[in-house]
Amino acid sequence: MMEPVPTVLVVDDSPTVRKIVQMTLQRERIRVITAGDGLSALTSVADEMPALILLDIQLPRMDGYHICQIIRKNLQFRTIPIIMLSGKDGLFDKMRGRLAGSTEYLTKPFDSVELVQTVKKHLVGWQQRMPPQYEGMRSRLRHRG
Amino acid sequence: MESQDRIMDGDLQTLGLQSVLKMLALSGKTGTLFVHSGPETLSISLRKGQIMALHEESYIKTDLLSMLCLINKLNPSRAQAIREVSRGNLQVALAMLVERNWMSVDEMQRRLEFAVTQSISHALRWVDGRFSFHRQLVTMESQMRPLDIDSVLLEALRQADEWEEMGETSLTRMTVARWLPEVSKDVRSLGLSQEHIEVLCLSNGEVPLQAMAMVLMIPEARVVRIMNRLLELHLIEVVDTALEAELQQDLSNIIIMCQHTLAQRRQNNAPDQHLLGLIETLSQCINGLLIHHGTYAKSMRGRGQIPLTEIVRYLERRFDHPLQVIARQQYPILETVTFTNGQLDCSEIIHLDKLVKGEQLEAFYWEAVLGLATFLRTVFSTLLNDEVGNSHTGRQLNYVWKAFLTEVDQEIQQYQLYKAQKSTQQMRKRHSENVYQMGVGSSNAPQGDGNLYRSPETQRRSK
Repeated sequence: MMEPVPTVLVVDDSPTVRKIVQMTLQRERIRVITAGDGLSALTSVADEMPALILLDIQLPRMDGYHICQIIRKNLQFRTIPIIMLSGKDGLFDKMRGRLAGSTEYLTKPFDSVELVQTVKKHLVGWQQRMPPQYEGMRSRLRHRG
Repeated sequence: MESQDRIMDGDLQTLGLQSVLKMLALSGKTGTLFVHSGPETLSISLRKGQIMALHEESYIKTDLLSMLCLINKLNPSRAQAIREVSRGNLQVALAMLVERNWMSVDEMQRRLEFAVTQSISHALRWVDGRFSFHRQLVTMESQMRPLDIDSVLLEALRQADEWEEMGETSLTRMTVARWLPEVSKDVRSLGLSQEHIEVLCLSNGEVPLQAMAMVLMIPEARVVRIMNRLLELHLIEVVDTALEAELQQDLSNIIIMCQHTLAQRRQNNAPDQHLLGLIETLSQCINGLLIHHGTYAKSMRGRGQIPLTEIVRYLERRFDHPLQVIARQQYPILETVTFTNGQLDCSEIIHLDKLVKGEQLEAFYWEAVLGLATFLRTVFSTLLNDEVGNSHTGRQLNYVWKAFLTEVDQEIQQYQLYKAQKSTQQMRKRHSENVYQMGVGSSNAPQGDGNLYRSPETQRRSK
């Protein structure tokens, strides 16, 4: 029987970052979906219910803090771990990220080993966080994958 | 499994697997035999001394359906249809192939029997390890007809002997091979047998030797011989998956670092500073790749600690000539760039502002950006071809690399756009001056927006 795989949503306006994260996590048997801006990110969250979100702060149309707040206010998605991914490494930005509801903060340029460790740490118990209505979709994805 | 169920256990050094199996067959036992050696475990279900099913713990999870497609025994769309339902279960996949008449019942039986024989043959070669026989029969899904232990043992021992006869070999059942990217000759002219061609087809950098043997239903030792022949003919190379993972990680970190620097430099609004930032980013990226290649180049691997001078000599030998060619044929400014300790030294270009100013400085910087971008492409493709070739890892890295180059190209195009806008403005200015001199006042001459250099999109991304 094929094991269910978690889905991680990567939101970043840089195609390079999106593809590197995708390549790195896929090697760890994690399914990766991507979004290049804030609105597509929210659509993906609603459609796919990812197990974790990697979220850049500076994004077109809507910044990462705002996306994070929207997700945290939604009862269905509020438990999804959100890792902020940004070039800003100041204490103020980290605090702002925490206030917006991020779970952890990774500073760019990040190391791929550190990225994998952080993602895996927050993926523990991802299946328990999945609302029942997404089970059917998850099983379809398993078949596809 | 409960210990009270255990009716026999022992050391493989004291009682070999062959003897254990013979004993269980003779006494017509029913139960499950577990054999462990290091991380490997074999579970064999027996009923009245016959093999009902076998499960190998270390069995590499390769997709039989994809492999059948690779050797043209199954259509990819049919494979996909089976995959969707079987969900990775080999037994279900085989049963479905039979049900849809895409495989005969006889072939399915032969495949299942071959897999059992192959696993037992492998376990017969274990020197250290333990076994235990439990009365309880563990449920293992199997479509297989019960197998007579004696006949399985006979074939398994023959296969194990083939391994032994081969003597020293660096290939193991986990070995993965792939086609060499440089192969240009027509393989049909090499007089290869059907088996050689099938192994060649399966050498895609993903299928381990053990899985090849299983799909082709030929003993592993024979696959080793075929692979050795293909290696001699320089048609394939052995893939080191651990090394490739490490290499991919290192290159990813370099690209992430360079993308980050590129994004940071976007904040320079002055054109000459932006170009200088691009020069620094490109040279940083080239130097990162050179350091990486000094560690992972094929000729540097497996030789332990290599003296720095040798690495430097290798890098200069490999990349100095392409740099000179680019400088001579397209971008003469690169003649000022030198190799120092295996690193590209662009300090003369970076300090050009002490010699020239204004438009001339911008022109020099522009030429350097184009030249370095060309050289960067050369370095990366040479490096990738040497280190991973046309492998899965190579294709993945190429995919990421193209995304990074797109970002670099966007930055370069930004400057081209700025130059075009600037020249249009100058032309319009000259035109309106001429019109003014001719005595006609002009009030509708276009006004600059104060920041020609940045499109709204780039301005946003730079904030």
